[in-house]
Amino acid sequence: MQIYLPIAEISVNIFLLLGLGLGVGFLSGMFGVGGGFLMTPLLIFIGVPPAVAVSTGANQIIASSTSGVFPHWKRKTLDLKMGVLLLIGGSSGSIAGVQLFALLRGMGQIDLIISLSYVGFLGIVGGLMMIESVRAIIRAANPDKSGGRRSLRKRGWIDRLPFKMRFPASGLYISVIPPVAIGFFVGTLVAIMGVAGGFIMVPAMIYMLRMPTNVVVGTSLFQILFVTALTTFLQAAQNQTVDILLALLLTVGGVIGAQFGARAGRNVKAEELRALLAALVLAVCLKMGWDLVVTPSDLFTILPRGAGEGF
Amino acid sequence: MIAALLLALGLQGQPQIATEAPGIVAALTQETVEIREDFDGAELVLYGATRGLTIQDEIVVVLRGPGRDLRVMQKSRSFGIWVNSAPLEFDDVPSYYAIATSLPLETIAHPDELERSGIGLQAMLEANARAMEASWLLRASTVVDGAGETDPPAEPGEQAEPPALIRQDRVSEYLDAIARAGRRDDVFAEAQRGVEILDGGLFRATIALPPLTPVGNYVAEVYLFRGGRPIASRSASLRVEKAGIERFFFEFAHDLPVLYGLFCVLMAMIAGYIANLAFNRR
Repeated sequence: MQIYLPIAEISVNIFLLLGLGLGVGFLSGMFGVGGGFLMTPLLIFIGVPPAVAVSTGANQIIASSTSGVFPHWKRKTLDLKMGVLLLIGGSSGSIAGVQLFALLRGMGQIDLIISLSYVGFLGIVGGLMMIESVRAIIRAANPDKSGGRRSLRKRGWIDRLPFKMRFPASGLYISVIPPVAIGFFVGTLVAIMGVAGGFIMVPAMIYMLRMPTNVVVGTSLFQILFVTALTTFLQAAQNQTVDILLALLLTVGGVIGAQFGARAGRNVKAEELRALLAALVLAVCLKMGWDLVVTPSDLFTILPRGAGEGF
Repeated sequence: MIAALLLALGLQGQPQIATEAPGIVAALTQETVEIREDFDGAELVLYGATRGLTIQDEIVVVLRGPGRDLRVMQKSRSFGIWVNSAPLEFDDVPSYYAIATSLPLETIAHPDELERSGIGLQAMLEANARAMEASWLLRASTVVDGAGETDPPAEPGEQAEPPALIRQDRVSEYLDAIARAGRRDDVFAEAQRGVEILDGGLFRATIALPPLTPVGNYVAEVYLFRGGRPIASRSASLRVEKAGIERFFFEFAHDLPVLYGLFCVLMAMIAGYIANLAFNRR
C-alpha cells in the first residue's frame, strides 16, 4: 500500500515506513539511544530528500524522548538544573545549526557535510565504545585481573573554569561552561545530522562532567526533548522540511518497537549490549564512509536552486 | 471519452484558418490531475483531430511540466572523497518532459529541424543551455578573469576552471546528466509511437505520469509534421495539484510555517505521551 508524503513529495510503501519505525525503535529501546543515527540514513536511502529526512528525524525523536523522559521524571532520576544548562547551550546550538544547514544547502555541500559528520562522530564514538566494552567483557571473563580499575575523580582543566555552580541531584560543584558548551555542540549536531546526539551526550556527561550514571539518561532525554522540539520548529518555520505524515508513521512503529527492544535488552549483559551497539554504530559509519570513497554510479548531482523551493 | 471525441470533432468543424489549410486540435480527457495520499502515478489521455491529414503526416505530442531552477554539480575526487564541484546553473528546466509520437521522432524530422523548433528532450535541453550561456560567461569572467582556456579536470584532485566549463563538450555532459536523472525518475519520457492515429483524422496520445510527478501547471503541445517540418500546432493546459490531506498539509506547511512547526512538535509530544501511558505504567 503506497502513501504519498506531502512534504517529501514521494510515494512510499506504508508498511516499509512502519517496519522501519519498528526496527529502529526496537534497537533504540534495546540500547537506550534515540536511533536517529540509523533512521536518517535509512530515510535518505529509501529516497526521502536529505533535508526532509534530517528535519523529520528530529520530529520523530520528540515522540520517543517524550515517552522516555516520563519514568525518569517520576523516579527523580533527572538533574533538572543540569538539564536546563544543557538546554541553554543546546538551543543556541540548534539555532546556529539550522542557519549552518541553510548555508551549506545553498552551497550544494549539505550531503557531503552530513555524510562526513556521520563518519567522523560515529567512527570516534563507536570505536571508543567498542574498545571500552571489549575490555569490560575481558575483565568479566577473568575476574582475577580486574584489580587496577581506574577511578578518576579529577576533571583536570574543567575544575579550573570559573562560574561554578552546585548541582545537588548529581552531587557536583562545577563550572557552568562545560555543560553549556556540550549542549551547544550537541544542539548543532541535531540540526545538521538529524540525530538526538544521545550517543555523544551520554559519554560526555559520564566522562567529562562525571555525573552519576543513574541521572545521566534521564537528563540526556530531557534536554534532547527540548532541543529536538526547537529544531523541528525552526526547520518547519524556516525551511519547510518537516513531513508530519512521515513523522507520524515512523513514530507509530517506533514507540511499539522501543517497548519490545527494551524488554529484549534486559536479557543481555550491559557490556555485551554496549559492544553490540558499538558494532552497529561502526557498521553505519563504515557504510557511509564507503559511499564517500567508492566511485558513484552517476558523477553528476542535480540540485534544486532557490531558497524555500521544493526541498 | 465519447464526449472528448465529440468535442474534438466539433472543434474540427470550426473554420480556423483557410478552408483547405492543414490544422490540428486537441483536448485532454482531464484538466487537472489530483495527487492524493494513494497517488502512485496516472495515465493521461489526449484526443485530437486533424484537418487535411495526408499519408506522410505525423503527429508529435509534448507534455511539459513547470520549470525549475537547477544547479548541476560534478563529483570530483579530492583527498579520496567524492566532492560536489564545478557547478553549472540552469534556469527554468522543465521538471517533467514527455513526448509521444506517431513514429520514432528521429524518422519524423531531421535533428536540425528538431533543434530549430526545440522539440524533443535533447533539443529542449540544448535550447535551455544556449539561453544560459550569457550568464555563465558573465559569472566566469567575474570569478576568474582572464584565466584562459584550460583543459577540463580529467585527473582527480584537480580543481575545475570555470571558463573551461562552458565549452560545448563539457556543457553537453551536464545536459546528459539532467536527462539521465529525469529518465531515472521517469519524469523525462520519450514514448516511441505513443500516438495512435485513428480513422477520420482523429488521433489519441497516451502519456504516463510517474509517482514522482511534480506539481504545477503543465502545457501539452501537439504538432502536425509534414515532410519533416511542423506545419500546425495547438496547445492545451493541465494542472497537477495536491488534493485531500496532501494539499492540506502542504499548504499548512508553506502558508503557516510557524503554526505548522508548533503543530508538528505538539503532535509528536502527544504521541510520546500516549506511548508513555500505554507502556510505562505499572
